[in-house]
Amino acid sequence: MDKFWVVAKREYVERVRSRWFIIMTLLIPALISGTFLVPVYVAARSAASPAARNIIILDATSAGLGARVSEILMVDTSHASGAAPRPQVRVVQPTELASAEADATKEVMRPKSVLGYLVIDDSTLAGARVRYAGRNASSLAETDRLRSAVRQAVMMVRLEQEGVRPATIEQVSKLPLRMPRVRIDERGRGASGQAGFFLGIGIGVLLLMSIMMHGQQVLRGVLEEKTSRVAEVVISSVKPDTLLAGKVAGAGAVGLTQQLLWIAVSAWLITNLAPLILKTTPAMTGDMDTSAVGMSFGGLTPALFIVVILYFLLGFVFYASLLAAAGAMVNSEQDAQQAAMPVVMLLIGTWLFVNSVLLNPNGGIATTLSWLPFSSPIIMPMRMGLGSVSWVSVVGSLAVCALGCVFAVWLAARIYRVGMLMYGKKPTMAEVARWIRYA
Amino acid sequence: MSHDLAIDIRNVVKRYEQHVAVRDLTLQVPRGSVYGLLGPNGAGKTTTIRMILDIIAPDTGSIALFGRPNREPGLLDRVGYLPEERGLYKKMQVRRVLHFLAELKGMRVDIDKRITEWLERLGLRTAERDWGTAKVDELSRGMQQKVQFIATLLHDPELVILDEPFSGLDPINAQALKDTVLELKRRGKTVIFSTHVMENAEKMCDAVCIIARGEKVLDGSVTDVRASSGRRNVALSLGAGERAGGATGSEAGRERLNGVGDVLSDRRLVRRFDDSNRFFEIEMAPGADSQELLRRLIDAGAQIERFELVQPSLHQIFIERVGAQGVETGMSGHG
Repeated sequence: MDKFWVVAKREYVERVRSRWFIIMTLLIPALISGTFLVPVYVAARSAASPAARNIIILDATSAGLGARVSEILMVDTSHASGAAPRPQVRVVQPTELASAEADATKEVMRPKSVLGYLVIDDSTLAGARVRYAGRNASSLAETDRLRSAVRQAVMMVRLEQEGVRPATIEQVSKLPLRMPRVRIDERGRGASGQAGFFLGIGIGVLLLMSIMMHGQQVLRGVLEEKTSRVAEVVISSVKPDTLLAGKVAGAGAVGLTQQLLWIAVSAWLITNLAPLILKTTPAMTGDMDTSAVGMSFGGLTPALFIVVILYFLLGFVFYASLLAAAGAMVNSEQDAQQAAMPVVMLLIGTWLFVNSVLLNPNGGIATTLSWLPFSSPIIMPMRMGLGSVSWVSVVGSLAVCALGCVFAVWLAARIYRVGMLMYGKKPTMAEVARWIRYA
Repeated sequence: MSHDLAIDIRNVVKRYEQHVAVRDLTLQVPRGSVYGLLGPNGAGKTTTIRMILDIIAPDTGSIALFGRPNREPGLLDRVGYLPEERGLYKKMQVRRVLHFLAELKGMRVDIDKRITEWLERLGLRTAERDWGTAKVDELSRGMQQKVQFIATLLHDPELVILDEPFSGLDPINAQALKDTVLELKRRGKTVIFSTHVMENAEKMCDAVCIIARGEKVLDGSVTDVRASSGRRNVALSLGAGERAGGATGSEAGRERLNGVGDVLSDRRLVRRFDDSNRFFEIEMAPGADSQELLRRLIDAGAQIERFELVQPSLHQIFIERVGAQGVETGMSGHG
């Protein structure tokens, strides 16, 4: 037991000291928060940027339609901070429209000037068409916003013409209508649907990545001990089983440390950067629930957190010990990748089903995969993030996974014990089977 | 009685899929001795050493260290091991590697102090440069070998096992190793090393065991082993002029020295001889007279620098007892 700690300590200290660990610890939170924040940023930007109002409205009608459009655009985004530009409304005679358009085009072409111009004429008033030309003509969100503003303006003018009171029209046109979404499952009302989705995917990616990366590190460590021939000295001082256990435990502790740092740093980045992003861009009008990002971390309850940690540890022990055995079988990096292939395929195979789990967290595939020891460490915590899973099945799946680990460690120890001192050609499958039987 | 033995191996057998690595080996190494395990490549030396260290288990038989079964926990902490294939964690700092390996041997106190002492003693820590803080792969091969010695001896083991310690050593490190072995003996430690270089064994060992094809051929103190044949060989040295004239190969030399060559090739007089160019170790034919050989050599015009009756060297005994067929070919070299 004493030597187990010596091995685990070396494994932990040497890995945490390495440049690789420091880089990954900082890089991954940047990526995670990036994947959360970029959609927020894009959504926020495309929602209603103040720039969309920086346009010229050429109004060739005599009904004051242009002024109304401008007003609606201002109302639409008026809760944004900063001095937003107002659309410049130019009322022109239909005969002068062509030359006005030519002037507007020149203005748009000047850098840092207006973005584009909107042409409103009698056909617009008739509800037929409205033209827009500008730098942002390819932005669907911005042109959609213009179109709905025009639609609203036409509607107001028409209603006015029909004799509806202007005050009523004003009132009706300003319904804010937000739509927060709440998921309901068998336990009742849960967090928002989007939050669960983010949480599920976040947990899955995190677990898969850390199991894969730290498992590969164990493989590389075993291979290094073998190729550098330090293995023989080490094994003359400590039993191979203890060495394997110490290595897996040490590397697992590194993985755990890194995950906790990842979660802490990502949470910090997201909670601190998201408001900044949302402040510099106008808030969105309700299509996307921006609080989903913040809430996805809120959904990480202490119970779920503990389960995630447990699954990480079990999944790591399962994969790392098998990868260590793969490393002990061979003598070169190339052979190692080949020997590790069956193990890596289990992990990648699991990942291939993630989509169907996301789409149907309680379907047959998802349920089956959350019971198999090689996939449950990733799928079960994901399902728990996505929705509700009964505690009975979580505990059951953890137990099955623990049994799987016992088997994997037993198998790995047998291969490892023989493989560590075996040099020369790569063993065949039949030879490895013999090691397992006779070790 | 048995507690006077550092190593007590009894009837040990180790079979592999294709061959028997060690068959029915029994040998005892007394405490405080320097013991040589001699044998050709593939004889089973490394397998034996690995079984002593409980790295692999024998199929049958027993191995005791200091009178206790070698599987007993903690017992191997009293052993220092230098494997034939040497290596350290390349990316680790020298001091940290040594610290780790000492901890693995159960050492808990004074580790850093001892590391410093050893680094200074082997010249790895001087006023200009402290290699202890460098990474292992920044060290030259010779320096890495020194670090490996330190790792073997840092925990002050009672029994030191060296597998082919001289292979790959430059003369300076080889001398340092010999000095260290003798110092260990003076301090009452037991040293066992395997080698196929008989000269080293003859000079350093108190006792030896010759094994071939996994079997013990003979063992005992070096004096006893050399006396065991009950006969004397002739050690013959010729003057430098005999082989002058640019001839370096022994074939060419023999042509110039037809006379001496004919004498030595006379099967009635000489059974076999070991030709080291200017030095010969000659085993007389049964019943032949060494004085007769001396006379014949003088008649042949040989310039004799030395003609001495000696006990056969370990090398001669090894060749004689193991023979050419004792060397199994095509084996891994880890026998």
